[in-house]
Amino acid sequence: MAASWLATQGRLPLAFMLLGLGWLGVATAMLALSPGVLALSHAAPAVVALTHAWVLGVFVSVATGAIYQIAPVALGTTLWRERLGWWHFALQSISIPGMVYAFSRWDMATLGLFASPFALGIGLFAINTWKTVRNSGRHDAVAWSLQLAALWLLLTVVVGLVAAANRLWTFLPFDPITVLRAHAHLGLGGFFLTLLQGVTFRLVPMFTLGDVPDWRPVRSGLWLSQFGLISLAPALLLQWNLLASASAVLVLAGMLSSGHAFRRTLATRKKRALDPGLRAFLAGCGALLLAPILGLLLLWPASPWGSGGGGFGAMPYAVALLVGGLLPVIVGMLCKVIPFLTWMIAYGPKVGRVPTPSAGALTAPRLEAWALSLQGSAVVPLFIGAWTQEPWLLSLGACLLAAGVMLFVYHAGLVLRHLWAPRIPASAAPPSP
Amino acid sequence: MITTDLNPATLWQALRAIPDPEFGVSIVDLGLIYSVECTPDLVQVVMTLTTSSCPSGGWIHEGVRAAVEQFAGSREVQVDLVFEPAWTTDRLSAEARRVLGGDETQ
Repeated sequence: MAASWLATQGRLPLAFMLLGLGWLGVATAMLALSPGVLALSHAAPAVVALTHAWVLGVFVSVATGAIYQIAPVALGTTLWRERLGWWHFALQSISIPGMVYAFSRWDMATLGLFASPFALGIGLFAINTWKTVRNSGRHDAVAWSLQLAALWLLLTVVVGLVAAANRLWTFLPFDPITVLRAHAHLGLGGFFLTLLQGVTFRLVPMFTLGDVPDWRPVRSGLWLSQFGLISLAPALLLQWNLLASASAVLVLAGMLSSGHAFRRTLATRKKRALDPGLRAFLAGCGALLLAPILGLLLLWPASPWGSGGGGFGAMPYAVALLVGGLLPVIVGMLCKVIPFLTWMIAYGPKVGRVPTPSAGALTAPRLEAWALSLQGSAVVPLFIGAWTQEPWLLSLGACLLAAGVMLFVYHAGLVLRHLWAPRIPASAAPPSP
Repeated sequence: MITTDLNPATLWQALRAIPDPEFGVSIVDLGLIYSVECTPDLVQVVMTLTTSSCPSGGWIHEGVRAAVEQFAGSREVQVDLVFEPAWTTDRLSAEARRVLGGDETQ
């Protein structure tokens, strides 16, 4: 393995992680400054802008960056074209601020101007992912999840572009709200869930010295969810509640199968103590299991928990899914990936030449745990606040989240400082020749 | 540089100073080094990784070579990365098990 090739490893994913980290600060500030937006309708411009700041800015940036890191190592190959990845990074960096601004002003023409380069960037990402998987010659659940996740993400962006165009020229025979719901579920279910149902089974054993004892529930979990997701978006678009319910049940069955496989995988681990990032990741995965159940409740407005005046609505569902589920998953990934990539760049070339620390030694686990706990403690007040439309609960939740994110960003800064100020441990020096 | 009478034990000690970046445990205690052999012309290390998809594997491999080259003098250094036999947790030393808390699963 050439040292020159190794030296370039980690920079592209780290760039995406920093983009996601920056957006984590911006999106949290947007919420902290106006927590009352969570009491609005899910189709309100401020809510759509906030959602895209979180989902595109934070979640998609981190997840796509993680794929650039994970796909080559999980598949035992190299990234097809790193240059395409940098183009993707540039397009994503310039387009998301414009998209969030355009959503907040509900300016669909400007939105189209910025969403088009975003879509182009995702197209480049998808091609890079597919070619990388194809070059690896792998056809296992991990390879399939990477390919399918890229496909779902591209599809989501295209549907989003069509939905925006439809707002300008109205050519679709569907209620725009149903188009919005289909778009959201394509992205959240299709991209994130599909990704988690595959790569988790490569990463968690790697981080915990474990093993996947049986790949069958992994495969069945992935495919059950795929069948559910394929029918979910059209069912939501056409408002066929029975089909949407059946789809949600299939997705839930798939998640349960993956969860069963995950539990068995975790039981095989040799590294017993789980670090804060991995614990947050697990908590988020557990919370995501609730998503299809909450979604089912939403589909039946006549039920006691159904949507409608004062009932369970889309906003608490979105808060539970995004803040309760995806945020800890993504932040948990950041906890693992940022120290590791920093180690790769700052200390990788020094291994064997001088004493080097471990990636974990770059972190402050107690500070990290505090940051994650504060973020976790925001979920309940935000969820109940969005449900009951109680301003003080929303303010409390937003403040807790902001405190947790501030600590987290500060901690990430401490880790990243090693990039320009590496510290060589005095102990464990190798013997002199 | 030492060019004669190179003792494999010295090399094992040098390799023990390299920690795995994920677990913070020496690569020797993790059981990643299969063998170290010294002849007058060659130093040969056979090593593995916990998984073939280990993201830091490239740097560990390069690091082992760099560590050995410090002692090899004029000898050729050969570091073979193999996955047969595959690494298993049975190769963890008692020290590694203690650090990782793996004894609970025994």
